[in-house]
Amino acid sequence: MELAVDLAALTQRVAPVVLARERTIPVGADLAGLFAEGGLVRGRTVGCQGPAATSTALALVAAAVTAGAWMAVVDLPTIGLDAASELGVPLERIVAVGTGGDPARWVDVVAAAADGFDVLLVRVPSGLPAAAVRKLALRLRQREVVTIVLGDPGAMSCDGVLHTDAPQWSGLGDGHGHLRERRVVVQASGRRLLRRSCQLAISA
Amino acid sequence: MDIPQRIVTVWFPDWPVVAAGFPVDVAAAVMSANRVVARTAAAATDGVVVGQRRRQTQRRCPHITLIDHDADRDAREFEPMVRAVAEISPRLDVVEPGWITLRALGPSRYFGGDAPLADRLADRLTGIGGAETASLIPGVGVADGRFASSIAARLAVRQGHPVIVEAGESPAFCAELPIGWLQTLGESDPELIELFARLGLRRLGDLAALSAVDVLGRFGHPGVHAHRLASGADTRPSSTTDPAPERRLDQVLDDPAAQSSAVVFVAKQLADELAGSLGADGRVCTRLVVLLESEHGERSERSWYRSAGLTASAMVERVRWQLDAWIGLPRGSDQELTGGIALVRLTPDEVRADEGSQLGLWGGQTEADRRAARAIARLSTLTSQDAVTVPVWRGGRLPADRYEWVPAAMVDLDQRAVSRAVSGSGPTGPWPGALPSPSPATVFADPHPVEVLDEHGESLRVTGRGMVSARPAMLRLLTGDDASGWRRGRPRPIVAWAGPWPVEERWWEPERHRRLARFQVVTDDHDGYLVVAEHQRWWISARYD
Repeated sequence: MELAVDLAALTQRVAPVVLARERTIPVGADLAGLFAEGGLVRGRTVGCQGPAATSTALALVAAAVTAGAWMAVVDLPTIGLDAASELGVPLERIVAVGTGGDPARWVDVVAAAADGFDVLLVRVPSGLPAAAVRKLALRLRQREVVTIVLGDPGAMSCDGVLHTDAPQWSGLGDGHGHLRERRVVVQASGRRLLRRSCQLAISA
Repeated sequence: MDIPQRIVTVWFPDWPVVAAGFPVDVAAAVMSANRVVARTAAAATDGVVVGQRRRQTQRRCPHITLIDHDADRDAREFEPMVRAVAEISPRLDVVEPGWITLRALGPSRYFGGDAPLADRLADRLTGIGGAETASLIPGVGVADGRFASSIAARLAVRQGHPVIVEAGESPAFCAELPIGWLQTLGESDPELIELFARLGLRRLGDLAALSAVDVLGRFGHPGVHAHRLASGADTRPSSTTDPAPERRLDQVLDDPAAQSSAVVFVAKQLADELAGSLGADGRVCTRLVVLLESEHGERSERSWYRSAGLTASAMVERVRWQLDAWIGLPRGSDQELTGGIALVRLTPDEVRADEGSQLGLWGGQTEADRRAARAIARLSTLTSQDAVTVPVWRGGRLPADRYEWVPAAMVDLDQRAVSRAVSGSGPTGPWPGALPSPSPATVFADPHPVEVLDEHGESLRVTGRGMVSARPAMLRLLTGDDASGWRRGRPRPIVAWAGPWPVEERWWEPERHRRLARFQVVTDDHDGYLVVAEHQRWWISARYD
């Protein structure tokens, strides 16, 4: 009996460490340069902010959802599905959940979604209880879910933030043409991201 | 060679529209994904056909009432019909609401032949239910094999009396029929039928005349399936087996479930397990017997048939239909539900090798799919069914119209293919008048009010001829509401704009008529907006975010 316990302890100790590199989900080529691991590390929370936050978030998850991951969209009824589809997100694996703006329910919903989805795209409501958020953050890490926080992260802490800036539109003139392409500079910052920036072109 | 079983089919034409409560003399149609799935006789005389698009339908029949399809409603309303047939022969299979098959052998001997049995069924089923269904006449067909029998039932509706194909006559009966029946009954893909037609195989007999080996070599398993049906040799495929009794799965609920969502949750687990264990053997269930028992011992047992095989979510859907129908029974019926559900049992009654569907490289359903399906069920119980939604393509000119969020519980998540819309086109090609891509990433279901001003600070106007009164120079957001008054935000200079792109929708319907003009606008801080002018008021309909 003692031997069994010792053995169990030993296997715990010699078990190969899973490197962060192995627990990533893929990211499209134009944004992959921002991540030292080459992809989104499972269990981390990434914020997307700035004038092109939604498009950047969709571009960020496109490769993962294409590869078979499911995405839950919490409290974002305004998400533009045509844009998602154009950025390469297959709509078959998107599920939207609404919480009606109740902070306690939001925590429950995100925790439940963490059990079944690989990617969460969320907007954080204000007034979240701090203790519940800490527990939730732990759960998101344990379940190895990639959480993308759109806009103000509020009580949630992000491992990294992608800030979009300097958008340049082309195609639209003074009374003629139509929007064809937008270029934004995506600036990465935060604990777990490289301090780099890259250009993201959003076009048809 | 096996002789196909003699099958009676009872078919109610356009059941969804009957279930929705429309009398035959009112023009109405039930729509799903922008296509007609069923229409009343009055609409049919105006040229509305199944599969037509919404706009074509409205052009042919402007006064038509269109409602959305609801499979649960169909199933609920169908229960009295199933019960009526069950009085004549209890061993019946429900294929879908509006379509029942049963074996002819026993009942036909009891009632003295196929013709008396068919007449009896037709008499019993005519005029059940309310006034709407009084003029509803079901088609009853008897033939060898399900396929011939289903065609006979549909012909019976046109002819107004039961159609009986004598024993052994099914191949001759099928041979003269157009090949399109394979598609009508959902046995073959439209592409395959179109290919057959292009190759000159216009009748089922033409296909049956080919050698089965050649058909297999050229068209694979779907071709052989079509060939077998066309030949009238509609026996069970040789790979069909009656599964061992241990395949049966049941769950006793120690704490009887009073809510249907709890029962569906249990059924979901059982169905996943059943479909998983069958799928691991490369098999699929074609007939499933669902038994529900209440804590007071009332039982509801029903057999569901689907020739293409039942996926886990199709099984759950059938359990839900059966449960809803049971709950909806009028008081005082036989086996009326009086307590919570204590037992759910799924018995696969007939399984066959799953040769028709092409699985993904790593199997049909990945672990991620299964986990997501469980999480969706959990989220539905945590919030409400309507709060957990998935997108369904609908189409339209404004971004907010193009997709609809429908409750995930209503959708078969395995069989779904939402569009991969590219450059303003949906699954059915380009949508005339839609805006070119890139599309806005934030779409407001309720547009934000806004003021658009010219250089002198005057509100901009769009004329009836689609001209703007001046160059738009300023955009100013409004906050507040009609009751408490509107507050104006900071004016933001417009640096680039285009438009107006006018839209006029449903001018023939005064209450739903819309007339608006769309603009794309970029402000000095490089925010792009889709701005809409309607009734001399301006709204932000979407943001290029």
